[in-house]
Amino acid sequence: MTNQTVFRPATAPVSPSPKHDQPNVVARFFANQTAVLIIVLIGMVVLFALINPAFFSIGVFGNILVDWAPIALIAIGETFVVISGGIDLSVGSTITISGVVAAFAMQAMTTAGVSDALSIVVGAVVSLLVGLLVGLVNAVLINEAKLVPFIATLATLGAGAGMALVLTKGGPVGGGPPTAINLSVPVLGPFSYPVIVVIVLAVIAGAFLHRARFGRYTFAIGGNQFSAVASGISVKRHILKVYLLSGGLAGLAGMVTYLTLASGSPSSGLGDELNAIAAVVIGGVSLTGGVGRMSGTIIGSLILTTVTSGLIVSNIDPNWNQVVVAILIAAAVTLQTLRGATHRRKS
Amino acid sequence: MVQHVNRIVAATAVSLSLALVASGCSSGASEPSSTGSSAAAQKPLTITLVVGSSSDPFFQAMKQGATQEAQAEGNVTVKYQGDATTYSPATQIPIVNQILAQSPDGLMLAPTDPVALQASVTRAAASKIPVVLVDSKVNDLSKVTSFITGDNQDGGAKAADALATALGYASGKTYQVAVGLTSATATTNTDRLAGFKAQLAAKYPGIQIVTTGYSQANPKTANSNINNWLTAYPDLAGIFAIDGTNAQGAAAALQAKGLVGKVKLIGYDAYKTNVDLLRQGVFTALVSQQPAEEGKQAVQTLTKYIRSGGSSDGIQAAVTLPNIILTKDTSADDLTKATYVESAS
Repeated sequence: MTNQTVFRPATAPVSPSPKHDQPNVVARFFANQTAVLIIVLIGMVVLFALINPAFFSIGVFGNILVDWAPIALIAIGETFVVISGGIDLSVGSTITISGVVAAFAMQAMTTAGVSDALSIVVGAVVSLLVGLLVGLVNAVLINEAKLVPFIATLATLGAGAGMALVLTKGGPVGGGPPTAINLSVPVLGPFSYPVIVVIVLAVIAGAFLHRARFGRYTFAIGGNQFSAVASGISVKRHILKVYLLSGGLAGLAGMVTYLTLASGSPSSGLGDELNAIAAVVIGGVSLTGGVGRMSGTIIGSLILTTVTSGLIVSNIDPNWNQVVVAILIAAAVTLQTLRGATHRRKS
Repeated sequence: MVQHVNRIVAATAVSLSLALVASGCSSGASEPSSTGSSAAAQKPLTITLVVGSSSDPFFQAMKQGATQEAQAEGNVTVKYQGDATTYSPATQIPIVNQILAQSPDGLMLAPTDPVALQASVTRAAASKIPVVLVDSKVNDLSKVTSFITGDNQDGGAKAADALATALGYASGKTYQVAVGLTSATATTNTDRLAGFKAQLAAKYPGIQIVTTGYSQANPKTANSNINNWLTAYPDLAGIFAIDGTNAQGAAAALQAKGLVGKVKLIGYDAYKTNVDLLRQGVFTALVSQQPAEEGKQAVQTLTKYIRSGGSSDGIQAAVTLPNIILTKDTSADDLTKATYVESAS
């Protein structure tokens, strides 16, 4: 990444002199990825509602948010990781393994007659701890074993998925708190408790990324690691924190998935790492690091699950999902490249 | 001090493992003594059962059926092998080749791929090792002594019957149903769907399949599909969850939306979790295969074939076992009997 983007959020208006930009309103609009994403999202909702009016309902929005909650959690973590110049492929299997381990814990507690509420709280703590453990392993592999993040997290992706299969012997893990499923029922319009928790976490994470030192360090390391070191940032310690954050959020996503399915499953996070990466890329985070906004990631992940529900409700072959997501990714990256070109011309 | 503790731990570990070995030996030694005296005269036979994934309760039930039959036959030992968790020809072929190198008296095989496992079957025939296929098959059955399987098309048809019964089907009325599949290419899925559709067309024209979807082996995807169907089709009367991931996703969706009992859910396979959900009323009915019976008949056939010196008299080249429908009216005994074994072995 070029140095110019360090410390500068991607969507900050690039306007050395407003006079020059005046005639180019369209270009300025497209430079604001968040605005474009909101338009795309609204356009999709309108389109799907035209195909099947049933789409425009609290019920469908509830379905979209249920799917969105775990993907948003891992995408938030992925945003920090990618902006810091890394990548975390292990989030999908972290959802699986944390959900499975929590499922066993809750199964044991329910069998022992522990109350549902306590079992669920313990389940959430267990899933968080499993996620943090995966994050720790990732950070050690990257910081100490000097593996590039892609390889380090590819290793933990495989190990996590394999261990989940070994632990469960391939089958679902049921027998947990019988009332756990009630938590994924919407309580306020389309919002269920896990969804509300995820929204709160997203706001906090956004503040951390854009308003706190933690975020400034993340942008600095991703923008240029050498100058980050030169300016006195402990890169290793920050990388550790970033992967712990990503792992912990993926662990919580495992618990959210458990609540959705009312059981653990050795394949519940299958392919979710790609959903997380798709969400951050559509949201305007640059895979080369140093650029991105939390709002982009949140809307990006919302677009992903809107497409999923929209295609199902429209009764369109769900295999189109992958095609639509591919087009969105290509469009988002093209937009970024065009904007980069504008940057360079202007500076 | 630390060293001392370590020594105690080590000593305990050693004595524990010795005890385990000893108990393993004694249980192993006690098995032949239970065989009948008439059978003792027979030449001892070793039959190896190679399955898709050895931890799958479906195959464990098959193993149990095979082992029980082996004891009944007398002087027959069944060995059980397969990749622990993965149902894949890439892991199964090396296992089969390893088994063939040990020249067992007979091979029971659940091939994970109709083309990829063909060579292994041909190799077994060339080494004069009789092969009985169970559950799934290879394309060329000419070298196979017998092929014993459940019938997926029949299972789909029986699911249609169970659904119609649950809906209180009356001709002239229309009912909307949805089918959850794993992928467009899994043959067990497509066979079940074909049987289901054919039966609807023949006997229940009022039942319409309004939508189908794929879970890609992920229960969360199945859950998302079914959540959205329940919203998009408020009159949906029934769901046929064609396999395990769809069953898990559908059961959670019905529970979360408070539609248990209102939307009839037909599942497949008597895994313990499914049977538990049937008892709770989440599933209206389950189509159950008979893996233990498959294992039993395969051992019977192989033993007969080998002990008759390779005569095909009275041996059926293909056996198709009917499926069983389990509902809340099924007796507790029958439910327990039909549930696939779930053990650590």
